[in-house]
Amino acid sequence: MPNPSTATIWEDFMNFKRRLLLSAIAVTVSGAMPLMASAADLIAIITPGHDNPFFKAEADGADARAKELGYETLVLVHDDDANKQAELIDSAIAAGAKAIILDNAGADASVAAVQKAKDAGIPSFLIDREITKSGVAVSQIVSNNYQGAQLGAEEFVKLMGEEGEYAELVGKESDTNAKIRSSGYHDIIDQYPDLKMVAQQSANWSQTEAYTIMETVLQANPNIKGVISGNDTMAMGAWAALEAAGRTDVIVVGFDGSNDVRDSILKGGIKATVLQPAYRQAQLAVEQADQYIKTGSTGLEEKQLMDCVLVNGDNAGKLETFALSE
Amino acid sequence: MIRTLVLSICLAATLTGLSACKIVKNDTGAEGAIPPGPEGDAARIAALLEETYEARLVPHVTDTATDISALRSALAGGLDAAGEAHGVRATGEGSAWSFAVKGSGTVVEQNRKSRAATLGLDTDADGKPDTTLQLGPVVKGTALRDVAPFYVFTDFRDQIEFARLARALNDRAVGDLSLPEGDLTGRSVTFLGAFAARSASDPILVVPLSIEVSP
Repeated sequence: MPNPSTATIWEDFMNFKRRLLLSAIAVTVSGAMPLMASAADLIAIITPGHDNPFFKAEADGADARAKELGYETLVLVHDDDANKQAELIDSAIAAGAKAIILDNAGADASVAAVQKAKDAGIPSFLIDREITKSGVAVSQIVSNNYQGAQLGAEEFVKLMGEEGEYAELVGKESDTNAKIRSSGYHDIIDQYPDLKMVAQQSANWSQTEAYTIMETVLQANPNIKGVISGNDTMAMGAWAALEAAGRTDVIVVGFDGSNDVRDSILKGGIKATVLQPAYRQAQLAVEQADQYIKTGSTGLEEKQLMDCVLVNGDNAGKLETFALSE
Repeated sequence: MIRTLVLSICLAATLTGLSACKIVKNDTGAEGAIPPGPEGDAARIAALLEETYEARLVPHVTDTATDISALRSALAGGLDAAGEAHGVRATGEGSAWSFAVKGSGTVVEQNRKSRAATLGLDTDADGKPDTTLQLGPVVKGTALRDVAPFYVFTDFRDQIEFARLARALNDRAVGDLSLPEGDLTGRSVTFLGAFAARSASDPILVVPLSIEVSP
C-alpha cells in the first residue's frame, strides 16, 4: 500500500487546512491497512430493501462494477431500519470488508454507524442519501435533489396550466431527500398563487400507503387536479388509486425515473418523473472506493452532487433501469 | 398560516443572530446564538450572505467573467472544452458547468409580467435572442452559488442548507437589480452574471448580478 510521501504531505501543508486533514486521514487509513490485508478484497454494499427498484438498481450497479474491478461483494439490505443497519455494518467490519457502499437508513441515525466503520479502518462511500456530518464518510455522492425537484415542479406547473388544486405526497420524514424535494417543489410551485395545495401527507416512500392516502384525499377533495409525489413508488400508488376511482384525468408527477413510471408515462398514465442516475451513481461510488483503497485518496470533495433529468412523454422511451440512452 | 409563522420565527432568528453578532464584535462565540441544526439555517445563510456576497462573490464573478461572444464560440466547440477553459464544475462527473459571464446586447424579447420574468438579448446582432437574463422573482438554477469555489457542498450540513444558500444568492441578485419600467425592447444593455450548462446546446439562462440599460 503506498503511503503518502513526506513531500506530498508537505505540499498539502502548503495548501489549506482541509487538504491537510485529508492527508492525515489517508495516513491513518494506510496505517490500518495491514490489519485488513488478511481479508479477501471484499466490498460491502448496503441499501434499503430491493422491493423498490431504485434500491435494487443501486445495488446491482455497485455489485456489477465491484466485480468488474476484481472485488468480492457482500450485498445486504437494512430495510430503512437504523438498528438493522448498525448490525449490518458490524457484519461488514467482522467480514473484513475493505470498503462499504451505503445508501443509509437515516441522516442523523447513520452517523454513528459510519463512524464505527471508520474507527475500524473501513472507509464508507455513501450514495443517494446524505448523513448530517462531513468527515465521517470518504465520499457522499447524491443526486441533486433540489435541482431535480425544481425540474419536476416546473413541469408540474406547466401541466397544471398554473392553476388548480393539488396534493403533495412526501417521503419518509427521517430522510433528507424527502425534505429537499419538497422544498425544491415549493420554491417553484408556491410562486403561482392559483395553485392551491389541499393536502400534504407523508406516505413514507411506500406504494401501499400512497394508495390509501390518495383514496382519502380524493374523497375529501373531489376537485383535485394534480398530485406531485416525492418518489415514483408513491406516484404509482397514487395513480392506482386514481385509476380505481376513475380519475385518470388527474395529473401525477413522480421522482426517481423507475421503469414502472416510464411504462405508465408511455401508456398515458403518469405524466412525468425526474430521473436520478442511480445506476451510474452506485458505480461511481465503487470506482471512488477502488481509487481510495489503492491510493488512500479519491482526489475529490467528499460531498458530490449528480444532476437529475426530467422524463416525460418526449424521452421516456429512452429510459431503462435508471439510465437514459443517448 | 403555518408558513407565515415559520417565516416570522426565521426572521426573528435572523434578527437575533445578527444583533448578537453586532453586540459581541470579534467574538467567535457570537455564532453560538445560531442553532447548529436546520432551525439555524435561515440565520446562518443570512450571515453567510452578508459576509460573502459583496466581499467575495461580486468580485469573483467580475474577475472571472468571460465575454458572452467568446463563451458562445467556446461552447460551439463542445461543453467540456469550454468548461475547462472558462467554467467551474464543483463536484465532478454528473454536475453542470457554471460560467461567469459578461456582455452586452439588444433587448429583442421581454417577459416582465411573469413571476419568472426575463429579458431576451441579441448579443450577436442577428436579430434573434441568444441570451436570457432572469429578472425574478422566480429564478431558476443555482449558477451563482456553483460558480463560486468558496461555496463548497461538503461544508454544509445537507442539500437543504446548501439549496437555501442558492436561493438566497438568487434573491439578493435579482433584488438588487433596478431597471426602468416599461418596454425595454430595442434598448441596449450590458450585464454581468452567471449561468450553468448541462449540454453545449442548453439555452443560456443568466442570473444577473447587474444589468445596465443604456438610454
